[in-house]
Amino acid sequence: MLQTHHLNVHIAQKKCLDDINLQFNTHDYLCIIGPNGAGKSTLLKSLMGIGPANKGSITISGKPLEKLSQKELARNISYVAQSHNRHLDFTVADFIKMARYPHHDIFSTWTTDDQNAFDSAIFLTNTEAFTDRQIPTLSGGECQRVMIAAALCQQTPLLLLDEPTSFLDPRHQVEVHQLIKNLNQEHEISIIEVTHDINHAVQHSLHILALKEGKVFWKGRSKDFLASSTLSKIYEQEFVILKHPETGQNIALTSERA
Amino acid sequence: MKSFHVLLSITLVCILTLLIAPHIGLSKNTDPAIASHILLQIRIPRVLLAFIIGAGLALCGLVFQAMFHNPLATPFTLGVASGASLGAALAVFFGLSFTFIGLDSTSLLAFIGALTTIIFVYSISRFGGGFSTEVLLLTGIAVSFFFSSLILLTQYLSDITGSFRILRWLMGNLSIIGYNDIWTILPVVSVVTLLVFFFRRDLNLLAAGDDIALSRGVSVKNLRYVLFFSTSICIGAIVALCGPIGFVGMMVPHMCRLLIGNDHRWLIPASCLFGGAFLILCDGIGRLVIAPAEIPVGVITTLLGGPFFLWLLIRSRIHIS
Repeated sequence: MLQTHHLNVHIAQKKCLDDINLQFNTHDYLCIIGPNGAGKSTLLKSLMGIGPANKGSITISGKPLEKLSQKELARNISYVAQSHNRHLDFTVADFIKMARYPHHDIFSTWTTDDQNAFDSAIFLTNTEAFTDRQIPTLSGGECQRVMIAAALCQQTPLLLLDEPTSFLDPRHQVEVHQLIKNLNQEHEISIIEVTHDINHAVQHSLHILALKEGKVFWKGRSKDFLASSTLSKIYEQEFVILKHPETGQNIALTSERA
Repeated sequence: MKSFHVLLSITLVCILTLLIAPHIGLSKNTDPAIASHILLQIRIPRVLLAFIIGAGLALCGLVFQAMFHNPLATPFTLGVASGASLGAALAVFFGLSFTFIGLDSTSLLAFIGALTTIIFVYSISRFGGGFSTEVLLLTGIAVSFFFSSLILLTQYLSDITGSFRILRWLMGNLSIIGYNDIWTILPVVSVVTLLVFFFRRDLNLLAAGDDIALSRGVSVKNLRYVLFFSTSICIGAIVALCGPIGFVGMMVPHMCRLLIGNDHRWLIPASCLFGGAFLILCDGIGRLVIAPAEIPVGVITTLLGGPFFLWLLIRSRIHIS
């Protein structure tokens, strides 16, 4: 459903993405990992059409990105940014409902489709309890769920998430991880997620793409990732791999040896 | 439903203001024929003009606040008002006096000044790193200061009458005779109001931030162009006709936010109606306080606006910390 072909992005003469060729299929769940400054967020923004100018091509459902209007794009892809402006003076309900924008023109009114999209978005993200609250009064975890709810209300086949759990405590991390996995498996939403949580990527996603210095360093099935011993090369940091006592899956821990 | 009731109340207040305002200050012992002439040819046009100008200023202020994500942005931030003022000052300085399609020379030069400024600010901001918020704001402020000093220079070089006329023009003026000026300004303000109302959903998203707006499908860049040019032309026309009437565009949208919330679907009509009523009120105060002399309406709005600005600043500080 989404391909990039020789994608190159420069920001102020610095090469941020170098010849990225990506083939992403419907119902896939891809995690993008890599050290800080590897170009992960830039790649995500380029796919969303909000990044800096790029060379190469991006095609979505067979159509080149630049041929799609911003509205058409927003009917195909929704995006949850890394950090949020917490001073949004809207109620949760109003903010989520605003995500129906790409399905409206200037004359259209709120339809049952819109209401269904809204109801299912707040149900899935478990945000029903505080739809009347103002966004600035929410905790970090609640705010993140509202942002995901808004993206779901947009009802797109593809959802992009930029470090959705970075600022959350462990309980809320697990909650958001479960939500994303559920969206992918039960609701057949395709997911591309940027994350620093390697174990989460390995456990939950279907594929992993590792970026380093703007280049693709490794790509493949998530379950093969830890066995490939590329982890230490990506981050220039030693890791130890052990088995999770409950699931038996491999997990990575940073090594204490210098 | 709450928003609906608030808007309804604002509408009622507005209608009452429009009905009562023309009758205030009419002396009782004048000849009825003269009194009715004053009412029809002077008072009613003046109140109508105040309403249209107030509505236009408030609307443009609302758009600027959403567009720049800045609660302190005003429709004059981009230098359009100072461009228009310079045009008017030059018209007075060179003693121009002619009319062209119903506009006198001062208004015409003021409007040309406004248009020139719009194009100037736009080109500089494009040249200096794209049509971004920061560049636009800084360009506008720099241009404002530059033009203000040129206005001062023009005033200094004028004779005493010219200098006073420029000063008087800079204080804003709503006194008109007959309805010609209303027919000039009404189409501009109504078209821009309709246009902005079409973009009410876009404005909500734009106020939430560029990235959110883009990812929801708003073509942010095109929207900025359309809003920038339409509101600037509206402001240019208003200032050309009535001089720079400050702070209405900043105060009214904030008062409406407190009353009705931040949803532009409600804020747009509320700001227009409230802005209209507010300027009628300010003009009424200006007419009555030292009657039979008048305090220029721009002085009244600025007197109210300064403290309001500071209050807003302190309030938003508290809000942030």
